[in-house]
Amino acid sequence: MNDVIIIGGGPAGSAVGSFLSKAGISNVLLESNNHPRPHVGESMVMSSVRVFDEIGFLGTLESEGFVHKYGASWHEIGGREAAITFSEFPQAGIRQPYTYHVDRSKLDLLMLKHAQNLGTQVIQGVTVKEVLFDGERATGVRVKFADQELELKCRMLVDASGRGTLLGRQLGLKKNDPIFDQFAVHAWFDNVQRGTPDTADYIHVYFLPVERGWAWQIPITESITSMGIVAEKEVFRQFRGRPEDYFTHYVQSNAGLAQAMAEAVRLNDYKTEGDYSYTMSRFIGDGWVLIGDAARFVDPIFSSGVSIALYSAKYASEAIRRAFETGDFSQAAFRPYEEKVRGGVDIWYEFIRLYYKLLPLFTHFIRSKTHRIEVLRLLQGEVYDRSEVPVLGAMRKYIEAVERTNGHLLKQQLASIPIDDLPVPD
Amino acid sequence: MDTQKLLLEYITKELAIGRAKEVRPEDDLLAAGILDSLGLMQLVMFLEEKLGVKVPDEDVVIENFQSVDALQAYLERRNGHAA
Repeated sequence: MNDVIIIGGGPAGSAVGSFLSKAGISNVLLESNNHPRPHVGESMVMSSVRVFDEIGFLGTLESEGFVHKYGASWHEIGGREAAITFSEFPQAGIRQPYTYHVDRSKLDLLMLKHAQNLGTQVIQGVTVKEVLFDGERATGVRVKFADQELELKCRMLVDASGRGTLLGRQLGLKKNDPIFDQFAVHAWFDNVQRGTPDTADYIHVYFLPVERGWAWQIPITESITSMGIVAEKEVFRQFRGRPEDYFTHYVQSNAGLAQAMAEAVRLNDYKTEGDYSYTMSRFIGDGWVLIGDAARFVDPIFSSGVSIALYSAKYASEAIRRAFETGDFSQAAFRPYEEKVRGGVDIWYEFIRLYYKLLPLFTHFIRSKTHRIEVLRLLQGEVYDRSEVPVLGAMRKYIEAVERTNGHLLKQQLASIPIDDLPVPD
Repeated sequence: MDTQKLLLEYITKELAIGRAKEVRPEDDLLAAGILDSLGLMQLVMFLEEKLGVKVPDEDVVIENFQSVDALQAYLERRNGHAA
């Protein structure tokens, strides 16, 4: 009998393994791939640094030379730019003014090794076929290893299977988001003009002239830059061309982006990625929790994914530690975990929704003396344990004024996104 | 400096770059593409922070922002309203 089985060796799985190992709770991590393996999601927010520090991983990020990310910059279609710098809002417990851009195949491998070094038993090349239950209580997993199927038992199960959402699918918990069905085409390039030296290592986001369309520019090494085009899946469908033509077409639609890409040379194949958002109707049950993308996925515009993975891993590990202390592994015992993570991701979701609803408003707010710091806090990933976020109320109020004012000059910029209540599909 | 001069100078130097060489008080800022959505928000901030005029969200309409002349008339109305 294992104490804890973790499904998945991405950042969420490796982080929860690291936390549990540090707490002296034995755990086995099952990964279906053999790392390194490619993965999208190459930019981090500031709050991730705190968790990397807590699991003792910051030294590795430094010694491996991951690119430092000091800020973020937005480029409007006509060429105007607005940037934020993380150092403007220092966060408690974070002793550096930057976070990181990463090659995910490398980061994920290093995090997995880190967990292993701390005591996590890592088994790669094992596919979990299903989670086993005794009534409502998770009791283990059935896995396929080489050509054999076998059952592994545990007292506690953590699903960190990512967008594969293993347990969510098995239990029918998955609710696709009615608004965000985005699609990305991306590749790595050499010789991208990253802009002026002071913001060259920022993430750069370029607005595109289609609803919810944007492009990312993320430095991966000194010379390699990741570039991606994101828009509603419908935009790609209607384009009816090859991904490379679609990519080139939209590069030309933003003056700043076209300039950045003028001399760029592609280094690998274009990859496509469905980015649709979803949530599980619950993140917890008797003897199990979902973390990271296995619990919920929100649109990647603010680079929130790895941060959500890390914080849900942290909070889940705290809940699991309590369960081992008290012997109570019931769903009720994990409720505070779900409330905390759901509350935090709800704030990300609301921010994302208001952002897309009226793009110029966001750039206005980050330039405004009144709102800049509060928006910056959100962009850095300060979303947990916050009972209210007044700046989201201010964004909403402005949007409502535009909606009800005849002839408002931003009316045409309003996207067709409902903001009245959080849509909860059944 | 009078308000018209301030407005013309800000719009010419900050917002019209690459879009228009010269801006006259009666020019249609919207039709000429001088004021796109982001430029518009920058202008609102300029009015609030440099000229000390609070612009309610509902006032960002074509009648008030179409030209420097229109803006000036709007600011005069606002000032009258404040006084």
